[in-house]
Amino acid sequence: MFVEFFYQLKEAGIPVSPTSFLRLQKALSMGLIRNLDDFYTTARAILVKSERYFDLYDRIFAHYFEGADLPDPEGADLTEAAKLLLEEWLKRPEWVAEALGLKKEDLKKYTPEELVKYFMERLKEQTGQHHGGHKWIGTGGTSPVGHSGYHPGGMRVGGRSRNKSAIKVAMERRYRDYSTDGHLTQAQMGEALKRLRRLIPVGPKDQVNVDKTIYETMRNAGEIEIVFDRSLKDKLKVILMIDNGGWSMDPYIPVVQLLFNHARYQFKDLKTYFFHNTIYDQVWEDPTRYHKPMKVEDFTRMDPEARLIIVGDASMANWELMTPGGVIYFNEYNRIPSIDRLRFLAQTFRHSVWLNPKFEEEWRFTRSIGIIRQIFPMFELTLEGLEKAVAYLKGK
Amino acid sequence: MSDSGNVRQFEGGSKYVLDPDLKQIVNVSIALEMPLLLKGEPGTGKTMLAYAIAESLKMPLIVLNVKSSMKLIDALYQYDTLTRLNDSRFGDSSRDVSNIEDYIRMGKIGQAFVSDERVVLLIDEIDKADTDFQDDMLDILEQMQFDIIEIDKTIKAKHRPVIIITSNAKKDLSDPFLGRCNFHHIAFPDREMMREIIHVHFPDIENRLAEICIDTFYKLRDLPGIEKKPATRELINWIRALKMDPGFHAKSLEKGQVPYLGVLFKKSADYAVALARTARARRI
Repeated sequence: MFVEFFYQLKEAGIPVSPTSFLRLQKALSMGLIRNLDDFYTTARAILVKSERYFDLYDRIFAHYFEGADLPDPEGADLTEAAKLLLEEWLKRPEWVAEALGLKKEDLKKYTPEELVKYFMERLKEQTGQHHGGHKWIGTGGTSPVGHSGYHPGGMRVGGRSRNKSAIKVAMERRYRDYSTDGHLTQAQMGEALKRLRRLIPVGPKDQVNVDKTIYETMRNAGEIEIVFDRSLKDKLKVILMIDNGGWSMDPYIPVVQLLFNHARYQFKDLKTYFFHNTIYDQVWEDPTRYHKPMKVEDFTRMDPEARLIIVGDASMANWELMTPGGVIYFNEYNRIPSIDRLRFLAQTFRHSVWLNPKFEEEWRFTRSIGIIRQIFPMFELTLEGLEKAVAYLKGK
Repeated sequence: MSDSGNVRQFEGGSKYVLDPDLKQIVNVSIALEMPLLLKGEPGTGKTMLAYAIAESLKMPLIVLNVKSSMKLIDALYQYDTLTRLNDSRFGDSSRDVSNIEDYIRMGKIGQAFVSDERVVLLIDEIDKADTDFQDDMLDILEQMQFDIIEIDKTIKAKHRPVIIITSNAKKDLSDPFLGRCNFHHIAFPDREMMREIIHVHFPDIENRLAEICIDTFYKLRDLPGIEKKPATRELINWIRALKMDPGFHAKSLEKGQVPYLGVLFKKSADYAVALARTARARRI
């Protein structure tokens, strides 16, 4: 019974399993389901294992049992696609031009809104184009391929020249919420980070060491001598600061994502902050870098034994780092140059490292890297670099 | 092994307002002998449900509070080597030192298995444990048996317990895990439901007061920038606080004053936000 319903759920992308379907049959045969309402809730509880699919389930249920039209799921997707398109347009004008069948020069005539509208219309009238459209949009966003900075509309776009510098970013802040994205499997990165979990005996002596107890008891000729060990406690606190903004970090975002996803469960106490380019007066707790700022001064209140790990490419113009007012957003102004902030952090936390996703060979081409290296020990964001960083953090 | 043929129906507890969906799901899970996984934001009554089931079906409740450092064996049994060692030295206990079984203590799952009557086993906050723990545990719950290696004995469940598992969805649970339980997501109660819940807890509350409290509560929940939104538990405690205060009048709530904000907002940052907002509302 309801085999077709089952397959409709499956086709819609809900991960339903045959076992659970059989279970539903069992529930039916046991007379547990007396009406359609019962069937609705029971089938959902048995077949659908995440609230994320509840909405989809509802639509299919309505379609199957009430004959309701399956709502066009493209509505939501299109807006999302449009956003992606806009991002893409700003980065790779000629790709977009090609995809929309326009000349590159013609693109200049459109405002972003008009372009998105145009794009949406194209998608609606041509379903064939749709799939292709998604494909290149999806893959382009974090592509590590280098590209020259160029933008037909005159706005600032991510230049991917060797020395990455951003003059005042005149765009709305983009962000990538690392934590929501991707179900990453166990990778090398996690292995390396695990080594950070240093077990230090600090707990009370309350664990019986059975082997030693037996040995000591024997030595005592049967008089019981109980040997206690300290219980192990994982005391490591980690403060992670991630450069998640700007175009210059774009190629490295997948790498940072990997690290971040692993770091989340690796430590007893992990605090993550975000910054853009370099650290000025504050860092942010939220990836949007908007809602929860945290003043750099306030880090003195934290445990100085915490390990500070900064992830960023450390590539910027010298004045961004060295002068007051170097912050690249219009609406912010920093009184203290970033370099002093970095020094301050390095002094506050004895154990600190900077992880750089750029390869070590490239470091000497960028001056700001050289300057920051004098403040923080810098390591590559590779397995090898991580191991070195961890060894460094443990070594002290 | 179990008496699934004549399962009593779960009808809700004395202090638990049960929505019909959930009732059906609970009863189906009991009948199918499947663990029921409950997800939902804190304060939606996931844990309370297990208490209500135990109360309604008149079964004892065994609670396993999962901790991040917990090993599965801790939930099954514990071999008390220290007591045995002590007994072997002093020999003044009634236990038989040569019988290891005397020194095996059952963990929460073990207790649920050896219990002479059918019990409700609540496994609270499963998402705190790691994936291996979760998968291995469900293996055991499916087979309804485990081995005690020290005495080479298999413990089989006398009665299949009614298993309720809760998760705060901090981590995604693994597919094999999800495949073996029924799932329900408890949404945050709407006003209608909340009204019922309030009346269950405060049978003598005036309607007007309840309305205003619920109204204020939902408004406060919608404040932007709140990290930990107040949940049902906070609302109940808050109303309790309001009722205790002889100087409190429902009118002050209507005016936008919110006393005892600290009962609703437990994080100091949230408290500050809420305080600022309500203070502003008062001025207007």
